[in-house]
Amino acid sequence: MKFSIKGSLTIFLTIFSIFLVFLLNEDGEIPILFNLLTFAGIYGLAAIGLNVHFGLTGLLNFGHAAFMGFGAYVTVLLIPHAAGREGVVITTGLPFFLALLIGVISAALFGLLLGLPAIRLRGDYLAIVTIAAAEIFRLLVRDLESVTGGVYGIINFSSSLQQYRLGFIDNFASSNDLNPSQVFVAFLSWISIVLVLLLLRRLTNSPWGRALRAVREDEDAVRALGKNAVWLKLQSFMLGAGIAGLSGVLLAFNYGTIQVSTFVPILTFYVWAIMILGGVGSLTGPIFGSIIFWVIIGETNGIAQLIFENANGQQIAGVRFVLVGLLIMILMIFRPSGLMGKKEELLLDVK
Amino acid sequence: MIEQLGNGLLLGIIISVASVALSLLYGVTRIVNFAHGEIIALGAIATLFLSSPVDSRLLFLDRFSPLGNNFYISVIISVIFCGLLGGILEFFLFRPLRKAEVGNIAVLVVTIGLSLFLRHIYMLLNAKPQNFPLELQRRETYLFFDMTPRNFRVLILGIIVMVLIGLFLNYTRIGKAMRAVRDSNDLASVSGINSDNIILFTWISSSMLAGLAGVFQATINDVRYNMGFLILLLIFAGTVLGGIGTSFGAMVGGFIIGIVVNVSVGLPFMEGHTEAKNAVALAIMILILLFRPQGIFGEKERVS
Amino acid sequence: MSNKYLEVTNLKKSFGGIKAVDVESLNLNRNELTSIIGPNGAGKTTFFDLISGFQDSDEGKVYLNNKNISKSQPYAIARLGMIRTFQLTKVFDRMTVLENMMFSASTVNNDSFLKSLAKLPSQKTTEKKIRDKSFEIMKELNIDHMANSYAREMSGGQKKLLELGRSIINNPSVLLLDEPLAGVNPKLAEEILQIILNLAGKGISILMVEHNIEAVMKISERVIVLAEGKVIADSTPENIRTDQKVIEAYLGSENE
Repeated sequence: MKFSIKGSLTIFLTIFSIFLVFLLNEDGEIPILFNLLTFAGIYGLAAIGLNVHFGLTGLLNFGHAAFMGFGAYVTVLLIPHAAGREGVVITTGLPFFLALLIGVISAALFGLLLGLPAIRLRGDYLAIVTIAAAEIFRLLVRDLESVTGGVYGIINFSSSLQQYRLGFIDNFASSNDLNPSQVFVAFLSWISIVLVLLLLRRLTNSPWGRALRAVREDEDAVRALGKNAVWLKLQSFMLGAGIAGLSGVLLAFNYGTIQVSTFVPILTFYVWAIMILGGVGSLTGPIFGSIIFWVIIGETNGIAQLIFENANGQQIAGVRFVLVGLLIMILMIFRPSGLMGKKEELLLDVK
Repeated sequence: MIEQLGNGLLLGIIISVASVALSLLYGVTRIVNFAHGEIIALGAIATLFLSSPVDSRLLFLDRFSPLGNNFYISVIISVIFCGLLGGILEFFLFRPLRKAEVGNIAVLVVTIGLSLFLRHIYMLLNAKPQNFPLELQRRETYLFFDMTPRNFRVLILGIIVMVLIGLFLNYTRIGKAMRAVRDSNDLASVSGINSDNIILFTWISSSMLAGLAGVFQATINDVRYNMGFLILLLIFAGTVLGGIGTSFGAMVGGFIIGIVVNVSVGLPFMEGHTEAKNAVALAIMILILLFRPQGIFGEKERVS
Repeated sequence: MSNKYLEVTNLKKSFGGIKAVDVESLNLNRNELTSIIGPNGAGKTTFFDLISGFQDSDEGKVYLNNKNISKSQPYAIARLGMIRTFQLTKVFDRMTVLENMMFSASTVNNDSFLKSLAKLPSQKTTEKKIRDKSFEIMKELNIDHMANSYAREMSGGQKKLLELGRSIINNPSVLLLDEPLAGVNPKLAEEILQIILNLAGKGISILMVEHNIEAVMKISERVIVLAEGKVIADSTPENIRTDQKVIEAYLGSENE
């Protein structure tokens, strides 16, 4: 494996940001770091999915949260859970891994459903349609309380997954004063990242990947050579949506509950910020982007305390979102290729 | 039904004004401005700040209400303030990006970041929803719908604004120039007009219209930091429905969306699901795109 | 089988009230090298877009080998064996020259997601085959030395060659060439003309839009003149040279 200057610098920055966690926190560094790495894994996975859309194919998706949510809701509703205000308990259900498979496939099919009207259109239309569809999804989930639990959410579904927890995870958790459930979810997230990246590397180097890159380069030429560009784009859309679905499931199990407020536009924007920071079009970039992003997010509390005396939760959140907005703007203006992206491979003029 | 129709007309005129503003900007600059909602919110928030003491922890703004007794002047200053923001954004952000030949997609992502940034600045300034300092009014019946006298004035004012925009685009020199830039898809081809000035003017006027829409919106609802973002998707729906880039289309599309949102509450299958009323309008937008991607009034453009 | 490969009847397209294409009837014969000429804005490229499916016509019918393709998608038309090139060369800039060729040579079946995921041995065999085929064509066109360079590193003329190579790798029956000589230096233009003649000799029916009148007159068997969307002349190069209408419409505007 060869290390470029860019790659080395990125790894250095990532290690430095982890070091910052130790520097800025006086105690409980390990749990704080572990919490950050769990979120970094889950969001990194989501950003890898988004990168399949935007980086590899040039598709503008602003409804990523809905793909994540779709995967999560389908999976959780298929296993034993309790939903809604009354906490109606459903004790029967599919085994976790079967439900997960169905959840991921459903997210991909949701991508297909959305892609059908929108993907033939110009890029900016796709942006509008995806963000609108995510809003429809959110409103429906909130409204269909009898199924989704509405604003009361879904609880008591974790054991379907946690029953598979391996012994060494419990040992690791107890010796480091960590929550074993979260350690297991973190473990699964990073395993998923490795598997998904291996899968994507295989795909991008294949004839399918070649066709996808051709679509990104020039759709008209692809059509003129007898290839169905729309279908290729739809396949890419489904693949990215499926990866998003997987990350959504992991997010739900990390919280142990599902709330309507989990899968909202702000989640999409987080994932966008991570993707841009890591590098549009880079396979591994989002991992590093995600770790650095979550260290920044983790420290917003401190920043908020500098601005406000005894900042409350809403003020901390406000400062955090202001920072994320600034990060997106500044990166896009001054360094659109992020940490790991290749400037020459950026496709910002996609039609 | 009569009440819903009145509400629908009101929301329709608000979305209409905001959609025309978005559409003008898109037509001239090809920017899909996701921060449009934040300019809308600014119109309402600035009006609130100027005219009444607000609940704010930051900068001692709670003691700040310089025009406390003068609501209408507050509105006018706020709308001008929105125009100023639009001009500043164009001058310091979007013009340099254009000169650096940054692609439209990158600019779109920048507006997303800008939207997040501005919205949460508002949140830090004033977190709680608050009403304009206006007295409560009783509904009265006008023709076949009923609403409060104030809202009726908003409706009439909105219609007047629309007519003025139409006259402006068709009969003034700069309005014609804006249409020429829009229709030619090519700034350089419009000879004798400084395209930078047209774009600056478009940003200012689009932002002023957005600010006015925000004031309208806050008179029927309340002022909150995310009010613009909440209505942005309906504005997109209106714009797409009418045909993105066409002013007349955006007017009609916005109006239809406003009415659909409110009237859909009365539909049988929506009983008990009023929270999901926006979903109906958004779903209509997606369906329209499926069958008529150029919108109702848009020029057909082969897309696949 | 009839001698016609393409039949166009009453094909119309206007933009904002201006008629870009208005062709009443036009038949193209198999194995004939036909060129379309006409002043700027005569509707030549729009005509290409209409018959290759890149734009919808307002009305009219297009038949390719007796099959109605008026409403067909571009990729479907290409699969019927009619491949077009573009006035502004469209190569895949950030892919290698070899990848450009191989993408074109590859079949939809070979590009399949599942096959790529499984890395089937059959895919490997196909890849090997299309790789050899690509090199064969690149050698013929004298661009094989650039096989592993990015397409964006090529000169304008080389890109034209690549686009041409990409178009012929699947043995099309019809080639639509949109200004194959535009922006190409005279020496390379001569080479490209020879390649086009060779292709025609192999039995490919060629329809070409070209601004270079001398080149057109030299190699075409039939010349169609478009002006303001209409066919104003349609004959052998010799007759076209002396056609009064053509001189008026065409040369008149050239000499302004």
